Amino acid sequence: MNLIKEHPILEFHHARKVTFSFDGRSLEGYEGEPIASALHANKIRIYRETPKTKRPRGFFCAIGKCSSCFMTVDGVPNVRICVTPLKAGMVVQSQKGNGSVPWSEPEAQKEGDGLA
Amino acid sequence: MEWQKTADAVVIGGGMMGTCTAYHLAKLGMKNVVLVEKKTVASGATGRCGAAFRAQWGSRLNIEMGKRCIDKFEHMQEETGMDIGLYQNGYLMIGYTEKEVEIFRESVALQNSMGVPSRMIDHDEARAICPGINVDDALGFSYYERDGQADPFLCNIAHQEAAKRLGVKFQKFTEVTGLKVAGGRIKGVVTSRGEIDAPVVVSAAGAWNRHIGDMAGIDFPVVGERHEALITEAVDFDVCPTMLMSFVGDYYIQQRPNGTIIAGCGPNAYTKADHDPEVMGNSWGFLERTAQVLLKVLPRTRNIGITHQWSGMYDLTPDLQPCIGETDEIKGLWLNVSGCRGFMFGAVAGELVAQMIIRGSSDLDISDFHWRRYAQGKKFKDLMVV
Repeated sequence: MNLIKEHPILEFHHARKVTFSFDGRSLEGYEGEPIASALHANKIRIYRETPKTKRPRGFFCAIGKCSSCFMTVDGVPNVRICVTPLKAGMVVQSQKGNGSVPWSEPEAQKEGDGLA
Repeated sequence: MEWQKTADAVVIGGGMMGTCTAYHLAKLGMKNVVLVEKKTVASGATGRCGAAFRAQWGSRLNIEMGKRCIDKFEHMQEETGMDIGLYQNGYLMIGYTEKEVEIFRESVALQNSMGVPSRMIDHDEARAICPGINVDDALGFSYYERDGQADPFLCNIAHQEAAKRLGVKFQKFTEVTGLKVAGGRIKGVVTSRGEIDAPVVVSAAGAWNRHIGDMAGIDFPVVGERHEALITEAVDFDVCPTMLMSFVGDYYIQQRPNGTIIAGCGPNAYTKADHDPEVMGNSWGFLERTAQVLLKVLPRTRNIGITHQWSGMYDLTPDLQPCIGETDEIKGLWLNVSGCRGFMFGAVAGELVAQMIIRGSSDLDISDFHWRRYAQGKKFKDLMVV
């Protein structure tokens, strides 16, 4: 994983390492840190494709406001991954267009899945 | 915009009702029409409305108006030269009581007799029209597929631009502060930016019409009532592909083709904020109540984010019906108020009022919409109202 390890002001205390899936790939990240942080650490920069012009979008405002990082997480579209904490076993998918709404309630994540 | 001191007609209000009135006055040949607007076009009720139109009404005159308004929307791009975001997704009326379903049934029969092929449908068809809907607790439905939606801002601006091309002057950020009256005739308006002399003045000020009436000592029977609405972020256009509306359920929900979902309800469905009902603003009560309705009627909306909410003023009349016509007291002073459907009826009402002003009569007799009915102890009856 490609994360900043030393910083002149901040100190980093990571929680446990968990696995999650990104577009079918199994990746690792730290539980409770933003999904975007985990993706960035795995060198993934493109999160979605815009509805009209099909342009790539990635990390931008980092405070849950700008809509740039919308992804489909556990079947739910338009999740702001910059402010959504990573959980073990999460299914994270690139979002194409507006995002489709699931026809049934996505299955709740089972605790303990995807432990690293 | 250069100030002109005289006009053939002054229209007060730049919403759909006023803008269409000005447009049709000019289209019928009036040379010097000035529209005066306190803020900007679509800044009142039009730009805050539910963005839909229907022919599913419960009285002959409203059905005829609805039919004509659908025709107007279908030809608005042609007429004005601008895309207006038209999408005819139909209205699905949802009834929760025997009485409400009976009103739908009687209204559909009346609509059918007037050439509107609306129909009663059953639960299975309702679910087929709007997959994912929860109508287990509903008792009956009516549906008409030519009812639909359009973008209120685009419709309003399309008419503004078309009116400008015909020579109509739009004086914005100009507030009417008085009416000039002499010898039982209207002589013009006094505004925050000066006076305009005109033999015809049309008050199309929506919820604020009463203030205009007061300036001439006339009781325009209109009060403002704050209604709220919200809109969600965009998702695929399959969550609410038709307009859902219920009077007893007190809600409307529809999805725009861009994927956003608009929902709203009346002010009595939730605990209101404690400020003046004539002041616009937002309330937690509305947000909570509408979120609950969305979750119940469309369970698929569960994880869809709400991006903003707003409110607007319904132009409430005593029988919730239009009040349109020339005042009996002051010749040349007209009232054009829709009774909470200005976006919907604006294009038709504007044309009919323009015809009456210029020709003395209109294609469709709308004398039943004159508010002198209240003085006569009558009310215009139509139960298909919000």
